[in-house]
Amino acid sequence: MSKEKIAICEDLADIMPPEYHDMVENATFGNQDRSWKDIGSSKELIEQHSLCAGCPESIAFRFIMSSIPNPEDSVFVGSTGCTSLVFPHVGIHNIHSLFGNQNAVASGLKRALAVRFPDRIKDVFVLAGDGATVDIGLDMTMQSWFRQEKFTTICFDNELYANTGGQESGLMQRGFVAKMAPKGKNFDKVRLPEIAFEAGCHYVAILTVSKPNRVEQAIRRATYVAREFGPTYIQLYTPCILEIGKQSMEGLDEMKDSESIGGRFVMRELMTDEVKAFLKEKEAEDKARRKKAKTVTA
Amino acid sequence: MEEQYQVMPGPEAFLPPSAASMGIVLPDPGQAHIEGRLVDEEEAYEYAARKLLAAKVPTLFPGPLVLWRWNDKAAKKAAAIRKLANALPARLIPMADYRPKYPKINPAVEINPNHPNLTIWYNKIDVCIFIGVHCHQANLALKIIRGGTDCYTMAMCAQAGHEDACLSFRDADPAKIEKLTAAVEKLKSEGVKSEAEDFDQFVTAREG
Amino acid sequence: MNKKVDGQNSKILFSEKVDIGSKGPVNLTVADPNHMFFEAKRKACFLTGSEVIKEAIRRANLDMSVAYPITPQSEAAALIGELYAEGYLKEYFRGESEFAVMGQCAGAAFGGARVFTTTAGPGTLRAMENFPMWAGSRLPIQVCVTCRGINSPLSIQPDTLELYYMLETGALVWHAETAQDLYDWILGGFMVAEQPDVHLPLALACDGFFVTHTKDNVMIQEDELCLPEYDPYRAPVPCMDMEVPPVRMMRDPFIMKSNYISYMTHASWQQEVRAAIERSRKHTKVVMGGSLIDTENLDRDILLVSSGTAVSQGREAIRLLEEEGINVGLVKIKSLRPFPFEELKEATANAKTIFVPEFNVAGWLAREIKACLPDNERVIAGPQVAGGMTMPSEVIVMEIKKKLGMKVEPMSGRG
Repeated sequence: MSKEKIAICEDLADIMPPEYHDMVENATFGNQDRSWKDIGSSKELIEQHSLCAGCPESIAFRFIMSSIPNPEDSVFVGSTGCTSLVFPHVGIHNIHSLFGNQNAVASGLKRALAVRFPDRIKDVFVLAGDGATVDIGLDMTMQSWFRQEKFTTICFDNELYANTGGQESGLMQRGFVAKMAPKGKNFDKVRLPEIAFEAGCHYVAILTVSKPNRVEQAIRRATYVAREFGPTYIQLYTPCILEIGKQSMEGLDEMKDSESIGGRFVMRELMTDEVKAFLKEKEAEDKARRKKAKTVTA
Repeated sequence: MEEQYQVMPGPEAFLPPSAASMGIVLPDPGQAHIEGRLVDEEEAYEYAARKLLAAKVPTLFPGPLVLWRWNDKAAKKAAAIRKLANALPARLIPMADYRPKYPKINPAVEINPNHPNLTIWYNKIDVCIFIGVHCHQANLALKIIRGGTDCYTMAMCAQAGHEDACLSFRDADPAKIEKLTAAVEKLKSEGVKSEAEDFDQFVTAREG
Repeated sequence: MNKKVDGQNSKILFSEKVDIGSKGPVNLTVADPNHMFFEAKRKACFLTGSEVIKEAIRRANLDMSVAYPITPQSEAAALIGELYAEGYLKEYFRGESEFAVMGQCAGAAFGGARVFTTTAGPGTLRAMENFPMWAGSRLPIQVCVTCRGINSPLSIQPDTLELYYMLETGALVWHAETAQDLYDWILGGFMVAEQPDVHLPLALACDGFFVTHTKDNVMIQEDELCLPEYDPYRAPVPCMDMEVPPVRMMRDPFIMKSNYISYMTHASWQQEVRAAIERSRKHTKVVMGGSLIDTENLDRDILLVSSGTAVSQGREAIRLLEEEGINVGLVKIKSLRPFPFEELKEATANAKTIFVPEFNVAGWLAREIKACLPDNERVIAGPQVAGGMTMPSEVIVMEIKKKLGMKVEPMSGRG
């Protein structure tokens, strides 16, 4: 949808609650240089959420939604879990469907949008938890990569099943004692980033959401590469503070600890040389455009 | 012979049946339905106009398809709805989207398909008409209203109509909304007075 | 119990945006379905059921299909791939499992595409979680279910047990007897399922092998016509393409906040899906030639009531019985969801005994019929065969004669 279509009919504008006016007037639809830096000065796409106080997933959501380059022509596919409690309140069309079939739904959706809008960019994103991505949905996650489906898969890795109350998941660390792993998990955290790259993802990133500029960079890179090359994958550590026994204030520290030297979430990116060259060019282009815009405004 | 079900204001039941499951059939093009009875569309205009004029709190519920200017037709419908509201007069309460809202809706200024009864109760709405709400969400709302309130519901539907409303038009376009306005104006010119209580049209302050 | 809906004078409605006479895929011309179905000149073609599926899909103005191999639908799914290669549909691929395929179909339908797929037996069950999701999300996907047995033990042979599982998914369920039914109902099915007041998935069932792998004469339009395209903006829910308001929209949100009214929203949502099935009656009657059932000789004391190829076996049994002076009438049930309650009540009003031959061990059709008829001790659930067994007409004859107190020689099993 063009930004112009996200507008309120004048004859009924005065009866619309202010949050909708705010969305039309102050959200960053149509701004290809939108950024996490707009948070605080513009209307966010997330109106509200019912996640726990201090949940890193909520800040991850806000960074992602402020970073995607084309929200007026993006559609999200989620899966059952905490994320699906947030999605109804996001100003972007989104689909819940079932638990685990998110990459199958996104495959059909992306192809249908490509057929119906051959001359337009319609970005599709999957955003699901680690249970949906790696356990119950792994087949469909990987098959979409094998098939070279052109969309971005984002996994909120909280290393357990959060919404159902803290059960063992494939991305959980070895030895962690959890529900359904009463003696501690007895196999290693699944190395999905490496598997993703092997399975055909053209851009892979693993990081925490402690630094918004890094999240933004990964999201934009993954989106651009998905449009041009094929599947991309981002794994974000969003610890479930509730289930790992932390306080509301401790989410950020938990993420910072996990990305310090030797930690399992030290940021890393996997991509081919071709993709690297493409991104270099694309990012130089973006930079030049932003610089030009700045000069014009000044 | 079983008595034919009628789509009447409630409160009807703990969980009322869908009207379709009780054998109510939607009108064909050129028709409307009044309480489940298929009638010529022309008959429904005056009936609907009388209902709205006789109401204490007549209310129009415009939905996303007419609140948002996503095409020219939507803007025309919005203008026609405004004219109808002014002609009656009637309140305008928007259904801007369909999400289950947290922590709660403000029933004074909005209606939501997941608990439309809150808005009906809060404003003591006795007659309402849905315009520009997607059919699935309209049917949820209409049935819940019939289940728990005594509000007389109507629908000006752009598609096939709503048997869960007490009265429904189909294939609505700006001209049909204007025709309903004309019916209101005609009745008024014949001496039928609006029974609506005084109200302030727009309280759009945000809570929560 | 439904009110009988008059479908005789109704027409098939379609989007006003459609340009009748415009160019469709390849060499096809977009036709008014009322002309295409009821007026256009037809020619006889001698085809297998799988080929019939291909010929119907060729003319369906389809956007997308997703395939997965399982006997006996593999051939049809592969033939649709040939259509894709020829340009008749815009997108086609092989998914990784039936569960995934139905998710892929859902994604495409959420995105506003007309979608068709096929499945059978164990595949239907593997995909099962998707079907109520399709219905609850109001996705008008058509799936052709070429019925076969369910494990264990494995059987690839015809058996209609899987339809029992389909009945409460919220989908429309039709059961074709012949290749002609299959052809006409695939095309008509899209027009019914996509009506804004219906907008539900359609499971179009036919009996595997008996229909898919046998050749039959099928009347197909002579002219190169196709259906009007699907218009996703007539849907009763917003299309998930960011082209229709509201933008803040989850198509299938969690509405179950913990209080009575939101549980009631969920209940109302389920009722609405079933209401949409009810609303399909008047549209279905148009494409099925006036009624959800076909009848022959309803004045007779004994009736055979069945669906699918069991109807064909019944017809032959009736002919055999007539040779012996025993007169039996017939009811063919074409639509299982919606179920023709009132039509059946009327059709069986004079019957003293009602036999329900079925190709499954559960006897689900007999249960459905017993649940809606007065004096249901008249209903005899049988004969039943399963696991790929044929149902020789003589078996039906034998059952009826036994009931009449006539002496019969039991028919021995045939391996």
